[in-house]
Amino acid sequence: MMDENRGTIGFACAYTPLPLIDAAGFAPYRILPDNDSPDQAGRLLHDNLCPHVKRVLDRAMSGRLPDLAGMVFMNSCDAMRRLYDAWKTVKPGMNSVLIDLPTVATDASIRFFRDELERLSRTLGQWGADAVDEAALAGSIGRYNRTSSLLTALRDKAGRSELKGGSAALQEAYNRASISPPGESIAFLEAILNEGPDNPQGEPGVPLYLFGNMLPDPEAFALFEACGVHIVSEDLCTGSRLFAATETGGGDWLLNLARSVLGRPSCARTFNVERPGSLGRDVAAGARRTGARGVIGYTVKFCDPYLARLPGVRDALKEEGIPLLLLEGDCTLRSIGQHRTRIEAFVEMMR
Amino acid sequence: MMNEYFTDLEAGIVKAIGEGNVSHRKLYTLELARLGRRLYSGSDSIAWCGITAPFDLLNALGATSCFVEFIGAMLALTGAVGPFIEETDHAGYSSDSCSYHRSVSGAAIKGMMPVPKFLIGTTNPCSGGLAVLENLARHFDRELFVLHIPQDDSGGNVPFLADQMREMVAFASRVSGTTLDDDRLRRSVELSNRASAVMKEIFALARHDPSPVSSRDLSNFGIVMSLFLGGEPAVTIAEAFRDEFKRRIDAGVSGAPGRKYRLLWIQNRIQFRHGLEKMLEEEYGASIICDELNDITWDPIDPEHPFEGFARKSISIPFNGTIETRIGHLKTLAREYRIDGAVNPCNWGCRQGTGARGLIEKGLGEIGVPVLNIEVDCVDSRKFTEGQIRTRLEAFMEMLQSRPPLWQ
Repeated sequence: MMDENRGTIGFACAYTPLPLIDAAGFAPYRILPDNDSPDQAGRLLHDNLCPHVKRVLDRAMSGRLPDLAGMVFMNSCDAMRRLYDAWKTVKPGMNSVLIDLPTVATDASIRFFRDELERLSRTLGQWGADAVDEAALAGSIGRYNRTSSLLTALRDKAGRSELKGGSAALQEAYNRASISPPGESIAFLEAILNEGPDNPQGEPGVPLYLFGNMLPDPEAFALFEACGVHIVSEDLCTGSRLFAATETGGGDWLLNLARSVLGRPSCARTFNVERPGSLGRDVAAGARRTGARGVIGYTVKFCDPYLARLPGVRDALKEEGIPLLLLEGDCTLRSIGQHRTRIEAFVEMMR
Repeated sequence: MMNEYFTDLEAGIVKAIGEGNVSHRKLYTLELARLGRRLYSGSDSIAWCGITAPFDLLNALGATSCFVEFIGAMLALTGAVGPFIEETDHAGYSSDSCSYHRSVSGAAIKGMMPVPKFLIGTTNPCSGGLAVLENLARHFDRELFVLHIPQDDSGGNVPFLADQMREMVAFASRVSGTTLDDDRLRRSVELSNRASAVMKEIFALARHDPSPVSSRDLSNFGIVMSLFLGGEPAVTIAEAFRDEFKRRIDAGVSGAPGRKYRLLWIQNRIQFRHGLEKMLEEEYGASIICDELNDITWDPIDPEHPFEGFARKSISIPFNGTIETRIGHLKTLAREYRIDGAVNPCNWGCRQGTGARGLIEKGLGEIGVPVLNIEVDCVDSRKFTEGQIRTRLEAFMEMLQSRPPLWQ
């Protein structure tokens, strides 16, 4: 990060290359879907579009945004591309860019994505950043890798039921880290990590693995715990996926960053072409690795990448004998609250 | 079932043509039936693909290739789609997903999708289509190759896609045991260019006033013709359409006598049989003379650099890229065809096509063209509420009747 902060850059997708934005002197800020903005996005986007995207757009339409120097969108799915389109209509004067994102990580697509990252770097320069050099990018990657390792440690602490506030507190940490510069994130994450262990009372929850996409509301996690769930680990866009560590190494730093972003634990939209249908096997492996006795899948409605692949996940978990509860919602506690009875029944079944 | 359907369809049309009953639409349907028969014959080397795959290149490779949505449309057309979609309900697929893709998935589960030799996924036009191809690759245990279609042709995007297409040829050759013959490739490029040029003529003729086109003449034409590019039949069919429209114009015959309103149909048609187009023509003098996908958006492919040409073609499809590209294309069509109003069937489950309906409505509104957004599932006839849609269309037509003409 440069000496002078150039301002804040908004983003909405977990594939956003945060170290590059930070290295350009901007502070990345995730525009999380909030529940307080009036529902207006339907004027521009069809009702059957991803609620995450619509709630992010609602924030823009309601003016509930921080002061942004620009907005970086990733071409991760149809809905995100439409968000970029609608954003330009709602915020015509704001800097915005859509960065293409391959769905498979072949050598050619990694090189292509590397060039897209270079385009992003140039674009950020047009928005007021200085050119990103290798030293600045290396420094930023180092800070985000530190953030990643702290969050991993927090996740482990939560997995051992030693984190005060449990998985809701972990989610709060994720949310805060997603809207803070990495230097600030490191400071508050270290502080949380250094707090004494929690001393949980009562019956321990059933260890479960959580996967899916957008679930940023900490109260949703509190609800899970109130239903007797102990989330031992998760794979969510609003959780660990955003903060996957970046592999460093010699040579072209942008290429390394491109390879790392495409190689991180994947959203359903990205897959291994040599292992079609691997999402289900990956979820099963995640559950096994973390000692979970079951899996909860949470996806927002109308998310095609997940909707199309959930039957495969169900099959893979069935083959492994791992119980699965699928929940669908709209990013809000309201919809997850309606699932309380199903969650409780699922937990009862495994006690 | 499908093999019998296509075989019978082909035999019936061949018989009719043999009896002198030839028409442009019959030639088109004949080739469609032949493609279906080849897909289901069990003898051809089949490739299931995404919509923007380079079919002229795949045809040069000798692969019987087809985008999977074709099967969804065929099942809808034959009225057989219901049980296949129901099958996906049982298998855990969401009813919020695209019915083109659900019907294909259901057909695969029920053993009604021929086993492919390989699959070619494309990132354009939609996330759902690529997901289905990944699922089919798993279901059939066949290899999948993914073409990442860049958002535009800037920078190194064309060489990037052209190189992927070269890799695709190597992949397909390895899997299927066929090789790409230079002469066959050159011939495919030549035929693709010839057919595309004639199709350009067709669309230019369709803009004539009065237009020689009826609502059904060019239904699904552009998207289905892409499957035939690179082969002789594409040229034959295109020439038949062109000659028929020329004949009608020369004879002063309108494709829809008494037509007062020229409509633009956005995205795809409703694939099952229904009475809306007839109602529009007969009761309101309104017919669809332009479909969004009935356009040639690419330049002729340079036979010396065919892969770059195929790449430009795939990138140029208006569904690709940001909505500005698509709206710009729709505005051009509306001006060229002197469109009075546009109908956008917001196919339930299609995030790519209908996601931006408000932006499209706003964009066409900027040039004075009103848009009717209707809520319809273009494949699943069980959800079709004809009465409600008819009422919306009637109100739209009454609105058009009350407006001064848009184009003087």
